[in-house]
Formats: sequence, C-alpha cells, structure tokens
Amino acid sequence: MIIGLEVHVSLPTKTKLFCSCSTAASEPNSSVCPVCMGFPGAKPMLNSEALRIAVSIAEALRCKISERVSFVRKVYFYPDLPKSFQITQLYEPVGKDGLVECYDGSVVRIRRIQLEEDPARIIKAEDYSLLDFNRSGMPLVEIVTEPDIKSEESLRAFITELMSILYYLGVDIEGEIKTDLNISMAGERVEVKNITGIKNMIDAARYEVRRQSKIIEGGGSVISETRSYVEAKKETVSTREKETDEEYGFIAEPDLTWYDTKGITRIEPVYADKIAEGYAKEYGIDKKVVLDLIMYDRDALRLIERTKGAFGMKTIINGIEIVKKYGDIGSEQAFKRLLDFLQNGGYVDAAAFEKIKKGEKVEGNVIDMKKIIDEARLLLNDKVKEDYKKNPKAINFVIGKIAAKYKMNPRDVAEIVKRIIDG
Amino acid sequence: MSSIEEFYSLEKDKEYYRDLLEELGKVNEKLNAFNNINEGLSSGFPFSAKDNLCVKGVESTASSKMLSGYVPPYNATVVERMLRNKFGFIGKTNMDEFGFGSFGLNSQKIAKNPFDEHYVAGGSSSGAAIATAILKYHVAIAESTGGSIATPAAFCGVVGFTPTYGTISRHGLIDYSNSLDKIGIMARSAKDIRPVFDAVKGPDGYDSTAVNAKLNSNNTKHIFVVDQLIELVDKRIRAYFEALLDKLSSMGYSIEHAKIESTEAAVASYYIIAMAEASTNLARYTGFKYGLKNDNFGESYNEFFTEARKYFGDEAKRRIILGTFVRSASVKEKYYYKALKVREVLSHSMHEILEKGFILLPVMPVLTPKIEDAKKLSPLETYKMDALTIPPNLCGLPHISFPYAYDNGMPLGAQLITSKFNDYALIDFVEEWEEEFKYVFKYNIGAVQ
Amino acid sequence: MEYIDFDRLLKICRLELEPDEKEKMQKGIVEVIAYFDTLNSFNAEVEGRARKEEKPGVLREDVVKEFDDVDGLLKNTKTYRFYVVGPKI
Repeated sequence: MIIGLEVHVSLPTKTKLFCSCSTAASEPNSSVCPVCMGFPGAKPMLNSEALRIAVSIAEALRCKISERVSFVRKVYFYPDLPKSFQITQLYEPVGKDGLVECYDGSVVRIRRIQLEEDPARIIKAEDYSLLDFNRSGMPLVEIVTEPDIKSEESLRAFITELMSILYYLGVDIEGEIKTDLNISMAGERVEVKNITGIKNMIDAARYEVRRQSKIIEGGGSVISETRSYVEAKKETVSTREKETDEEYGFIAEPDLTWYDTKGITRIEPVYADKIAEGYAKEYGIDKKVVLDLIMYDRDALRLIERTKGAFGMKTIINGIEIVKKYGDIGSEQAFKRLLDFLQNGGYVDAAAFEKIKKGEKVEGNVIDMKKIIDEARLLLNDKVKEDYKKNPKAINFVIGKIAAKYKMNPRDVAEIVKRIIDG
Repeated sequence: MSSIEEFYSLEKDKEYYRDLLEELGKVNEKLNAFNNINEGLSSGFPFSAKDNLCVKGVESTASSKMLSGYVPPYNATVVERMLRNKFGFIGKTNMDEFGFGSFGLNSQKIAKNPFDEHYVAGGSSSGAAIATAILKYHVAIAESTGGSIATPAAFCGVVGFTPTYGTISRHGLIDYSNSLDKIGIMARSAKDIRPVFDAVKGPDGYDSTAVNAKLNSNNTKHIFVVDQLIELVDKRIRAYFEALLDKLSSMGYSIEHAKIESTEAAVASYYIIAMAEASTNLARYTGFKYGLKNDNFGESYNEFFTEARKYFGDEAKRRIILGTFVRSASVKEKYYYKALKVREVLSHSMHEILEKGFILLPVMPVLTPKIEDAKKLSPLETYKMDALTIPPNLCGLPHISFPYAYDNGMPLGAQLITSKFNDYALIDFVEEWEEEFKYVFKYNIGAVQ
Repeated sequence: MEYIDFDRLLKICRLELEPDEKEKMQKGIVEVIAYFDTLNSFNAEVEGRARKEEKPGVLREDVVKEFDDVDGLLKNTKTYRFYVVGPKI
C-alpha cells in the first residue's frame, strides 16, 4: 500500500492570514471585517508572522524555500467560502522538495508546503446553513507528501515525527490536525478527505486499505475517486467531487504580487528524534525512553540539557518522569535538588515532591535497598522463575508490586529483579 | 490659480449648496451623471466618487443590480483621504456595470454626453466625466482599468488623469481587474488635479500593491507617436491630431515616430487578463451576504447561487463566461499565460521609448459616436475601440487625457503617456497646454455670479 | 479554435440563460474567442506564470486591530443568533 498525505495545520498567529482580525474570538461573527467576509472592495494584506512560521516549517522539513513566494486564486462555489475563491499557492509555494526522517528509519519526501486561508465554519440545518466567519481567513499551512508511506506503522511514525517538529516550532496541532489521505494499492488513487485528528486518520487508512484489499482479492478493480471519512461509522464513503482542476481555473492573486523570503528570520528547528538518538548513543540508554519524554515537551528537553553534565543520565530521566507525574517543578534549581535527592538514594512521593520544589528538607523517603532485595527474592519463587524462562513477562507482577510499594521507577525495579534471577 | 483656491476665495451665500444641488438634480435627470447625490452636502470643495468606490453609509453598487442595497460599512481609502482634506462629498457617479464598457451604455441609466445628449459620454467612468463637465467647481475620483478615465474624459471634454498603477490605494474599490485597476482623477484643469493627487496618493495599510514611491517630473521635450496605433485612427481625427503635433512642435517639443510590434496583441491580452480576473472577482456575488438577496435559503446552494446571479447585466455575464473559459486548466496556457507574457513584452517595448520621451496618441480611434450607433456594435467591435487606451493601461503606465480640438462642437481628446512614477510630468505638461488652449464647457452649475 | 462546451461553462459560472439570450451570447463569445486566438501567432519568449512587478507586496505586522463596524457588516446579511444565514448544503 502506498499513502500520501495532505496535512493542514493552523498557525499560532494573533491575527488572521490577510486581515488584522483576532484569531481568538468565541462569539460567532465577532472577529470579522470586510476582508475575511469577502466584502466588495476589501483587499488582502499578508500577515508577516504567518509567512515567517510557514517558511520555518518548510525549512524544518528540509524544503527548498522559494525566494519569491506568490499566491493564486482557486475558484469554487460553496457558502463557507466568502469570495467564492480561496487564496492559496501553486507555482511559487513557500517550500518544495523536502523530507522527514522518521524515528523508525523511514523517510517521507515532502512535495510542497503552502500557505492558505481557511473558509468559514458552516453548520448544516434542515433548510439553510449557518455561517461563522470567525474562522474565515485563519492561516493554514498545507503539507503535501509524496506517496512514500507504506504501512500503518510508518503512517504513525511520520505523523508523530511531523507533530514533534511542528511542536518545537511553536505550532501545536494536537487534536486539530486535518488530513486528506491518498491511498493507492493497485495504481488507482483514492482520496479520502476531511479527516480530523490522528486516531481518525489511522482508522481511515486502515479501513480504506482493507476495503481496497478486499476488492482486489475479489478480482475487482478499485476506482479512482474521492471519499470522505465518517467518524461515527468508522468507514469511508464515496463523495461527488465538488470541482475539478479544470474548474478551479487558478490565476495569479493580483492583490498580493510576490514576497521576498530571503530576509525572513527563521525559527530554529529542533529534531527531538535526533537528540534522543544522540543521548542513547552517548549514555547507553534506550532511545525510545528519552524520545517519549522530549517529543512534545520543550521543558523536559531544556532540563535534560541543563543538567546532563552534572548528573547521570539515568537519574535525569528518572527526575523528568517524576516531574511529568507530579507536575511543574518550578525552577531549574528545584530540578537539580530533585536530582540530588534521587542520586542519594531517595524516593519521591507527592509530599516529597512538594518539599523539594519549595526547597524544604525531606525526612525519610530513603530507599532501603536491602529490604527491597529481600522482598523481591521472596516473590520470585521457583514457579515464577520457571515461567519467566517461557515468558519474560511473568516477572512483571513482581516489578509492579515493588515499584508501587516503594514508589520506585519500574525500570529501576526491573533491573534489580533481573539481577536476582540471573544470580 | 486652481479652481479650488478660487472656490475658497469666493463669497458664497447661505443657499449656495442648496441651489447647487437643486440645479444639479435637474441636469442629472437629463444626463444621468449620478447614481445618487448627497443632499446633505453643505461644505467643502465638491468631489464625486465613481460608484465602484465604497463610501460608508452610502449605497455603492458599481451600477450593478447585483449590488443594489449594498451599504459599505467603511470608506475607500481615497474617499477617506478626500474627506480628511475637507473636500465635500457630492455623490456617486454613474458608470458601466463594474467598469465593463467603453461608452457608458452598460448601466441601468444610460449616460449622456453633456455637449449633445444623443451622443455617448464614454465609459466606464461616464458619470465622473459628465459631472466634471457640468459642475463649475468639482473634481471627480474615477477609476480606469483599460481606458475608463481617458475615454469619457475625452468625449466630455475634461482632463482625465490615470496615475501609475499602485500610486493610489485601491482599498475600497469594488474590483474589476485588480492587476489593472487604477484610481484616478478628473477635473476641468490640470491645476485642480495636482492638489487632489497630492492628497490621495501614497501607501496604505489596506492595499499591499499601494507603493511608497518617489514621484518625478521629468520632461525631455521629446514626444513619440506610435505609427501602428495612428493607423487605426479615423482620418478626420488624424487631421486634428497632426495639427496638435504642429502646435506642440511650435511649443518646443520635438516630434518623433516609433514602432511597437506588440500593440496588435495588446487588445486581446488586455481582455483576457481583465476578464480572467473579473470572473474571479464576480464569483463572490452569490445573493446572501450583501447586495441583492435571494431569500430562498431552502434551495440547494448551487441553485441558490445560480438564481441570484441572473441579475448580472449582459456584459457582466459575457465577461464572467469568457474569463472563466480563458483560465480553465486545459486552455489556460494559450490564453491566460500567453496574455501575461504579451503584457510583459509590451511593457518592455513601451519602457524603451518612454525612457527617451513621452508617447502621445489620440484617445479614441473614432469621433464621439451617437448612442444608437454605439448600441449596434458587437462586443468584439466595442472591445477593439480601446486599442489606443489599452497599451498604457495594460502596462500600468501613467497617462493623462486632455481636450485639444472641437469637431462640430464635440471635444476631442489626446493622451500623453510617460514612464512609471513620472506622474507629475503629465500634470506639468497639461498645465503648459492650458496656457495655449481654452477648454469649452456647456454647463457651469455652481458658478458664483 | 478550442471546442467550447457552452452548457458546462455556464454551469461552472453558476449562470443560467434563457434560450434566445443564450444563442446571442454564444455567438458573441465565439467571435471574441476567435479573436483571442490571434495571440497564438505572437511569439513571446518570456518565462513565468505570474505578474512581474518590480516591487514586492507590502507585509502586515501581526497586530490585532478589530474592525470598527461589525454591526454595519452584518446589517448587509440575514443573521440568526449571531450566525449568518446561508443557503442549504
């Protein structure tokens, strides 16, 4: 199976893409103006910050950045599109020909990255529709990949990787991510449109792969078409395509001429995956453990980077996990106190965490290693050891029990338990 | 002295504006200069705005039924700047629907020539030109896409100034073709155009094509006449034009001849670009957000839109269809993209000549036509009438149209073209011309006895 | 000259014409397109698919400035509980 994606992400700007209306309004049609309602005479003015973020995304995804960026009008008729054309990009998009290296080793090429405006929110009613133009003109970046994704796992790996890169650029898209999928298993391309969220995207891909496989196995042929995902039924259904390329009749957007990208200061990208890999190599720890901690957490990454010389990496990771469990540690100083405490054989519960955070002394909470080993030995009777040979998971209950009782990190307990079994 | 200075120096009685508006109303019934007149006008030097310019709280329709009832909640920048400079808004002027026309016939009320009502006033800024020709103290804010200022200015015997594309903000201008639309000024003298241009030009936070450019006034005393374009002109006009050249020669200008090959492709290129853009601009008129309303919300949206869009006039429909066709994916390369290339080649050729001097041309290839004759022209015949005004408009070049002769009492106009941002040279030139030549006006509404 | 599927074109434009109006319109349009075809003989050796303006467009700072007459905007529309009413989808 071959999947290509078109991912739409909203940009975290204060104002809309082409007008100064706020992007943070709640009451319907409260943040609107002649531009975003498509009133006669109004002209678009490009938001410099939206352009800067879009260029930064393109650069982080290793695209060639167009020196000259320009826009086009894509014409189609629908009540949510106030001008009956969308301002988007075609010939001189922000970026082209990039790639994303995913944590599972796969590479997904990026075809293009373009900046465009969102239509209004539309609500279907029996005999009319209701429109909220607050959403009209919100800045979107569309990321179009080549059809390089070959499995559900790769799809998951790609989207996680992409979201992490975007997260570190300040584009947090959790939940709101909108995707179109292009899936072709036997040449014919099927497009699945308007999928919201990651879970739905994976479910839609899974459904569509199964549907197409069945057709092919049954000796039939898949028809090239546009489908849409129905969340409630977890299936895709055929939809009549609204317009074709012939009808969009793209022309250069004359009100925006062109924009120079050379002088734009980019947001520095962070590749959490590469950083985790580096730590794994340098400190001999599991890459996945680090990656899970820092993928969407710039605070965790900062704390690791600030303490990595002074403390052992295992202690630091323990510390980060504790912070994630009990909440904000407050300052870097407090985090260092936490690491000191751990390094001296302490264990942390909610009360201890609060004390360390405030800089108060923690009484007790010292791990009595001898007691733990004794208790583990007792639990690891011959039957468990025998089971362990057949199924390594057999010792999990021992690890869980001790970790819970002594508020320890299960990974550390697992190490102790394995050492006992190995003698 | 400009008539603006003269106006403010005059002693006017209390009833001045009331009398002025009353007389204007009467003449307007006959000539259809205004779509609406501001009955509340009570101060300032009067200015009118073409009906495709948004004026806050005043119905602005671009003479289209589709926009009837549209009351803009904001002022066009050019209108805002006029008001800020204490000009008094006198009303919205008649025009060809959305700017689609050369004769002022594509409006619900046909615009009539102030010298003889049987003749056309020219378009598309027909009302702006009539208003200028009938009001003693007045300037018009007009707009040109392919000749919509020069043509009516010539037919109505007034001065029509179209500045470099981008020097006056288009914010609040109801779009015809955004890459070609230019706001300009009409007046009875270049002396009045200067202060108005000073007041309204310059960049604007609402139009990203409104540039911050230094405007010049370079006059090399060279005038070029483009032979291929002169060949298109009626013989009778050619004789008047030759006399004009002689006169300019005696004023110290050297007259030279130039050839520009790409002028033949200019008309087709212009209409392709203008219609392609217009068809996208007019897509927004779907009958529920502004202007004419379709209340039948229960109809599915495509039927609803189609129902609403039948209120476009014939010429608007024609341009939507043609514009949609030339940008369709399968033929776009040979029409739309080709037209963009022609524009570039022509711009380059024009620039080469304009570096050395002005280009001077008659405005129209024919004498002012009678309304009934103009009505008989096919769409294509009408389009071809713009052959002389299209080259400067297609290239975004500043140009000025001025009266230079009268044929049986009807004025003739010539247009002077210069290079981008040399706009003031045009105003200087016409001021110089006005020392040699007196314009004739049939009406002087608002004159102070 | 290009073949023109006039009915399809009208549909894309969301326009409907009466039969006699349609015939007249089509005649004028075919004539104009034939004239546009004269561009084919024009040899323009120019690259690009966009307008070649010397100056780039002006950018806007990302600073909120709410429109001062939202009521005036909405007065032009039909509304229902803050929403703008549109046709059925």
